[in-house]
Amino acid sequence: MKINIDYIARVEGEGAVKLDIEDGTLKDLKLNIWEPPRFFEGFLCNRSYDEVPDIVARICGICPVSHMTTAIRALEKALGFTPSRDSITLRRVMALSQIVSSHLVHLYMLALPDYHRLCSILDMFSRFESEIKRLNRMKEVVNKVTALFGGRPLHPVSMVVGGFTSLPPRDKIEKIVGELENIKDDAKETLKMVSALPFPDFTYNTEYVAISSPAHYAINGGIIVSQNGIRMEEDEYYSIFEEDEISYSNAKRTVIKGKGSFMVGALARLNLKFNMLHRDAKKAAEEIGFKVPDYNPFHNNLAQAIEIVHGISECRELLEGVHFKKPEIVIKVREGEGIAITEAPRGLLCHHYVLNRRGVVERANIVTPTAHNFLGLEENLKRLVQQYIHEDKEEIALKCEMLVRAYDPCFSCSVH
Amino acid sequence: MVYCFYKFILKMFHCPEEEEVVLKKKPRLGFFKYSCCAGCEFQFIYFQKYIIETLNNFEFVFCKMVTSGGTPEGPFDIALVEGTVTESWQADELKKIRERSTYLFAIGSCAINGGIPAIKSIHPELEVEKRVYHDLSAIHSIRPSAIDAYVHVDGFIMGCPPGERDLYEALTSVLSGKKPDFLEYSVCIECKLQGNICLLVAHNMPCMGPVTNAGCGALCPSYNRGCYSCWGPMRQANALALAKKFRSMGVSSEDIIRKFTLFGSVTTEFRKTAEFYED
Repeated sequence: MKINIDYIARVEGEGAVKLDIEDGTLKDLKLNIWEPPRFFEGFLCNRSYDEVPDIVARICGICPVSHMTTAIRALEKALGFTPSRDSITLRRVMALSQIVSSHLVHLYMLALPDYHRLCSILDMFSRFESEIKRLNRMKEVVNKVTALFGGRPLHPVSMVVGGFTSLPPRDKIEKIVGELENIKDDAKETLKMVSALPFPDFTYNTEYVAISSPAHYAINGGIIVSQNGIRMEEDEYYSIFEEDEISYSNAKRTVIKGKGSFMVGALARLNLKFNMLHRDAKKAAEEIGFKVPDYNPFHNNLAQAIEIVHGISECRELLEGVHFKKPEIVIKVREGEGIAITEAPRGLLCHHYVLNRRGVVERANIVTPTAHNFLGLEENLKRLVQQYIHEDKEEIALKCEMLVRAYDPCFSCSVH
Repeated sequence: MVYCFYKFILKMFHCPEEEEVVLKKKPRLGFFKYSCCAGCEFQFIYFQKYIIETLNNFEFVFCKMVTSGGTPEGPFDIALVEGTVTESWQADELKKIRERSTYLFAIGSCAINGGIPAIKSIHPELEVEKRVYHDLSAIHSIRPSAIDAYVHVDGFIMGCPPGERDLYEALTSVLSGKKPDFLEYSVCIECKLQGNICLLVAHNMPCMGPVTNAGCGALCPSYNRGCYSCWGPMRQANALALAKKFRSMGVSSEDIIRKFTLFGSVTTEFRKTAEFYED
């Protein structure tokens, strides 16, 4: 029996799952990411450092803030520039608002229909009116946060190498703090709703990788850690991780040298740094009985819902009572090299640039969360199919699609 | 909102209420993604304030980010196409979509002017591709181009990400059966309306506003930075005159080429200007 899901719906970008079952055993399974390459690393060469954030934002329409922030941090390291405390705080606010917004769309619009056996959010209008209104309320506020500091929620304009070109007046920030307060209950309701979903019973303990910091729930920088003992600076990224080309996929695949697959993303973050979550998120997670470590990849959706509570509460706290100074950006161009790792909504994102003395890119490398999760997802798909091997064709296909969506892959990012 | 607008039109022309029955037959919509960040589809399915109206007023025949199932075969009352054409199957499919669609709109800079993926077109293809893959045997990329290189396009919903005003205009036009009215002037007009001080004249900042199509509300100048033309060139913009102004301000030839090849590198307006400074 052959199952071909040629164009997986409700994910970002284009990918397929192809599998072959013979006499009750799985013969072959491939995750074929056929999203066409755009060659970002190729045409970033010969571009000036100050164009890079605007270019890499276009790698992804869901997490442009992550690509911009990671590139900016890598370029600032290459140029020997230290960003101000205000810039670091604002980048954190931008990242949190984008993580919440990405998780909201993924949970409500992409993942949720599966659990109600529906094709899309369009079929949910009549039965789930209050849920959709809740999604709207929350999404509007978090988009406003990104737009207030970035200019617009998608492909923001004010984030540049060196800091922010402009800052909003204090009264607008205060207004948004109030609006964030108003959606805190919506976030908790979202978590309750997600925790009640019938997740398939499927566990597999893999290596979870995230970045960590003693100061807070690390997003824009920290040391790379795993529960199996990885502990290293972001500059040492290549000493542990290895990227390879795959014959059946346009996306490259990253593994831990000598070990193999691992998992990044919301579930990995919770498994590694649950204690660093905002108290509101910890409390909400305890209320629904969520415990770490959690080895069910479907629970990545649950972890995302917990991060929604975290993101809204932390954003609100970061913005309350702060007074940002008027930015002044002075960059001295020089030769250099920089690597930066951040936590995109979907997990570890790495940008690496080599600049010449005129600040022009000579070499660029970008490794995305979906490239990090590629092998782990493929292996888990195989285990999942084995577990449900006696179900009918439609059921196996649906389970595969659900697992892919639970990882929340971004195929556009992964190929770039 | 869309519905209210429609009711308003009916009222204006004294149409009887029964006419509303027409609305019950929802226009069939297809959304196609080629090589891009999927930001347009994302903007579309999350159409900010009008999401429920948008999703309720159209029949989603094909839109992979919203719904599983669906058919790319059509027919469509409205087809929206995002992304740059970078593989030959996309061009083949595009021609089929054109045949099966009443209206075909290009949405976003990639589909309209090649966008960021078309930066590749200013270099020899192999040179760029080799920097990314060692083994190119499974890579089948062609020179990036905008979709109107292959098919007739009925309207351009410009921007990166697409502007809400234009998206709203396109969708309501299809619902009410009128020709969409897109903006055909430069960012400078919007910048003046915002009351901004001109960055180009007063602050000597190389701003692409004078040659860039309006729609963003002069976002970058309002955030204290020069426009970088993410909306792409305004039709018949005198791009070379602006490039010469940049040169007189001390901007290097290399940087001028970069500015005119960031967005719209495959458009006549910007290509000609970049070529003027090459060599």
